[in-house]
Amino acid sequence: MPTDKKIKDVMVGIFEYPHIPYWFSIDQAMRIIKVSFLSTKKYPEPLAVLVFDEKYNLLGTLTLKDMLRGLEPRFMRTPTEKAQVLSEEESELSLIWNTLFARESKDLAKKPVNEIMVPAKYFVEPDDPITKAAYLMIHHDLILLPVLENKKKFVGLVRMIEIFDELSNAILQE
Amino acid sequence: MAELIHREYPQKLYYQLCEIIKKKIESKEWDVGSQIPTEDELCKIYGVSRVTVRAAISELVREGYLFRQQGKGTFVRKQISDELIMLTSFRELMLEPGIEFSTDVLAQTTMMPVGNISTLLDCPADKHIIYIKRATIVEDKPIIIQEVYIPLHICPQLLGEDIVHNSLFGLFKKYEIDITRIRNYFGTAYLSPEEAQFFGLAEGSPTLLLNQLFFSGETPIMYTRSIKRSDSFGFAIEFKKSSINERRFYVKR
Repeated sequence: MPTDKKIKDVMVGIFEYPHIPYWFSIDQAMRIIKVSFLSTKKYPEPLAVLVFDEKYNLLGTLTLKDMLRGLEPRFMRTPTEKAQVLSEEESELSLIWNTLFARESKDLAKKPVNEIMVPAKYFVEPDDPITKAAYLMIHHDLILLPVLENKKKFVGLVRMIEIFDELSNAILQE
Repeated sequence: MAELIHREYPQKLYYQLCEIIKKKIESKEWDVGSQIPTEDELCKIYGVSRVTVRAAISELVREGYLFRQQGKGTFVRKQISDELIMLTSFRELMLEPGIEFSTDVLAQTTMMPVGNISTLLDCPADKHIIYIKRATIVEDKPIIIQEVYIPLHICPQLLGEDIVHNSLFGLFKKYEIDITRIRNYFGTAYLSPEEAQFFGLAEGSPTLLLNQLFFSGETPIMYTRSIKRSDSFGFAIEFKKSSINERRFYVKR
């Protein structure tokens, strides 16, 4: 039986995560991740930054994977069917990865974060059941969902870890 | 009854007239924003020549007691406190008194203190700050861009306040935050591509830069970086020998 808990019972505050404007670059976001989390050995799940516009509207989220994806050299991106690619096991590939990463990624790190963030398309409201968050996370591959009051005001975040915690309690108790 | 000019006194006539007018302003007999008598009227009231009246008014404009509005007259200017001479906004310092301007709020949001902002504001790099960006527009032309950084915990309410029609000083006062000291740095800044596009000037054009760090007691509460286009305005600072605290700023076209 799914729990009766609501989003407002499990959500966390918006200032639990760093905020950056969309024009910040990937390397600025990386520095913020280091300072806000890594150097203080705080590892909340997920490690992410929130991306805002000039008027303090949430635009999207950026996880570590999103940042690394933004730095991926062009050659290494998912090939089309027609392109011939080496198998990932080929030893020459690691040399190519290293060389290309070193050459291109510093330039790619200057890109603004809005080019690589996950746009905040989906959201939940404080009085929604937590199962709604679970549904959206599963179907849209999300680990962080914004909580909006009256579909406008950004009041919190709901995370996979809290959703999992509550739902697993409901499962394991029966 | 008007105070008399004493022709037998050794002080120059215009200086005496200056002192008389200053007293009227300081005692609020002539209130801030009010129009003073015309040159003709002052000549008649004090029995002095037009040359004397003009010299006195020029001196009082220079000292910041009065300002002239072309075609309208001469008015009493808002007083700058001797103690907190810098407690006026950059825009008030950099714009000729009486000039009409409007404000565009380009950003009012949050961010983390990147670069040297964390050090300047003595704010840990993992603490949020409020970021405000505003442009001052005169005759449809952007004249000043100002970026403002405030640690969120100092005044989180600022995120939701109307900063088009309210000054930040007024808002700090509303939330009972007292600004006690301002550290200023004047210099030159060269326009970045984005700034150049905004001003409609060439990239790398020099601008007047003012960085200000505001304190409440020993706590830094706000850092601002303002740049002003220098293609149509100059800037002058005058220090009076009599008092190290007496400073006046005015714009020179």
